[in-house]
Amino acid sequence: MNYKDLVWLSYTDLSEKKVRAILTVIMVVIGVASIVALVSLTEGISASIQTELSALGPTTIIITSTSSTGFTLADTSQISALPNVSAVIPIVSGSATVIAGSENVSSTIDGVSPQDLDTLLGQNVSILQGSMYADGPSPAALFSKPLAFPSTSGGVQNIFVGSPVKVEIQSGRTVQNTEIPVSGIINVTSSPLIPQDIVLMSLSAAQLLLHRNSFNVILVKAKNTSSVTPLSNLITQIYGNRANVINTQQIAATAATIIGAITDLLVVIAGISLLVAAIGIMNVMLMSVMERTHEIGIMKSLGFRNKDILTLFLFQALLVGFVGGVIGIGVGTGASYGLAALSSHASSTSGSGAAGTGGGSTFAAGGGGGGARFGGGGGSFGGGGGGSSSGPPSFTPVLSISTILSALFVAMFVSGAAGLYPAWRASKMEPIDALRVL
Amino acid sequence: MTKSNTSFAVKADNISKIYKSGNITVNALQNISFTLKKGDFAAIVGPSGSGKSTLMNVLGTIDKPSHGEIYIDGIPTAKMNGDELAEFRNKKLGFVFQAFNLITGLDAAHNVALPLFNMPVSESERLDRAAKLLERLGLGHRLKQKPTQLSGGEQQRVAVARALVNNPSLILADEPTGNLDTKSGEEVMKLFREISSTGNVTLVMVTHNPDTTKYCDKIIYIKDGKMEKEVVQ
Ligand SMILES: Nc1ncnc2c1ncn2[C@@H]1O[C@H](COP(=O)(O)OP(=O)(O)OP(=O)(O)O)[C@@H](O)[C@H]1O
Ligand SMILES: [Mg+2]
Repeated sequence: MNYKDLVWLSYTDLSEKKVRAILTVIMVVIGVASIVALVSLTEGISASIQTELSALGPTTIIITSTSSTGFTLADTSQISALPNVSAVIPIVSGSATVIAGSENVSSTIDGVSPQDLDTLLGQNVSILQGSMYADGPSPAALFSKPLAFPSTSGGVQNIFVGSPVKVEIQSGRTVQNTEIPVSGIINVTSSPLIPQDIVLMSLSAAQLLLHRNSFNVILVKAKNTSSVTPLSNLITQIYGNRANVINTQQIAATAATIIGAITDLLVVIAGISLLVAAIGIMNVMLMSVMERTHEIGIMKSLGFRNKDILTLFLFQALLVGFVGGVIGIGVGTGASYGLAALSSHASSTSGSGAAGTGGGSTFAAGGGGGGARFGGGGGSFGGGGGGSSSGPPSFTPVLSISTILSALFVAMFVSGAAGLYPAWRASKMEPIDALRVL
Repeated sequence: MTKSNTSFAVKADNISKIYKSGNITVNALQNISFTLKKGDFAAIVGPSGSGKSTLMNVLGTIDKPSHGEIYIDGIPTAKMNGDELAEFRNKKLGFVFQAFNLITGLDAAHNVALPLFNMPVSESERLDRAAKLLERLGLGHRLKQKPTQLSGGEQQRVAVARALVNNPSLILADEPTGNLDTKSGEEVMKLFREISSTGNVTLVMVTHNPDTTKYCDKIIYIKDGKMEKEVVQ
């Protein structure tokens, strides 16, 4: 039997039972689409986390205070004296509500000296309007673009250089209102690590504003990647449980583990939907074989061999798998981009609002350990917390050729496997018995 | 294989067919033996339920005899396996079933071309061959119609065309004119006669109509699964 006959005979049968064929294809589409969407989404998320971590640098160690006293200059000089330290950056981090126009936006205030900011973020920050704040206690701040052009007001600017912005700061039970002069508007490259709704000012200005004499975060840059782990261990020994010490390599490893676990879970879910599709295909094929028993008898009397009948039915199953696979890849791609856009939109309206006083700071390691910050919008490292609809999505799905090809292969394999038994049953029929069934 | 087996187009050697279901045993065929030479046009005649269709199925290798052997062109068929028989039927046999047995999803031309599925010629060539045969049977205007859109007689002629399309050496036709009016029935008979007169094709036909037996060389009478007599004319 040649290829054209197969297509023709299969198509004739499938098109005759249009609704049934479409439903079978849809089952495959759902399975394949969910696999493609889940894989490309998780690959996208992990790729974006990798990018951000590499922007922060593989040699960065983050030390977060777990006590209310925080760190002092004594701590920074002690750490500077440790071997293999190339830079020590103290940071004061806290949360505040920015009131601009009619908008109240929860945001993160980070105090860091101008030079340190450059070391820290480099080209990830660009000044759109105004200029960098001066190093010193006089309050002046850089506001991020999503704060200055909130999407809730349709992207219209409501924070301007030179006109002070009202900021509400909660410390303990008291709420304090202050006005902060605006030195500039910055664009922070879309990142799950750096919150989009961020206010940056000098270290001393932030200390004044947040009523602290200390810092709560110290960033340490090691001289090289091989010294990161020994240095981390040393710092951990020094601080014990007074601080959380984590380095970007650990974050990357933790992220990879968590994403791996989530991916496994999602793939299992997608696999289940494919299994359901397989059972559906088998059911439909068995029905089709039963209905076509008489025809199988005719074909066998006219000289179709067992393998011809087997090929015919198997080909139909593969056709369903192929069509479902191709459509499923399309739908899955669309869904993953749609979900990415949706999540970045959702996070811009609600995400960063969850930032708490303690664990919500930009570089805070968080009380719950490394894993907690990937879970929700609370921590600055949370994927949901950093997005903005005014910028690009916080992550772009990664759709590799190998994902596409393996999705197609899985679809055809599953359909083929599901079609095998019905096709085998069809092929084994005796012509006379098959002919008698009407 | 003896010489007497190979010199006949068809040799039925003491064939029986017994149907058993529970306590009921039906002797559909009992000890049937006959031979046909190449180019013979034989009729099988007998009352309803006498075993004519059963005999045709057994001759056509789509059913196995309970006992006995059938030689077609000298080849014994009883011990062949399913795939060997399928290939054998595809090359050597043409069927016109009592119930037509057309494929409902395919139009007339594709139904007729179906036995050619395994031939190394292009689809258009196969459809061409099918179309020529259908024209010959007066159905040139019905090529694209599906069986459900054809009358009983038209379906029967499509079935006849399908039986001829692979140039078989043995054609088995179960009441091929049962649904046809006198005129188209005669057309089919003349076509059969013409085919058998070439001397290369053997025909076996079941018929209830005494008029059609006049085209035949041999008439085999069957009653209650037994061969009553054989008349050569
Ligand atoms: N599968 C079967 N199981 C049991 N008995 C059967 C089976 N098929 C046919 N028979 C019996 O065998 C006998 C012969 O049937 P067959 O179909 O060959 O008759 P026929 O001569 O072709 O009749 P008609 O002229 O009505 O077509 C009948 O009595 C029938 O009931
Ligand atoms: Mg009959």
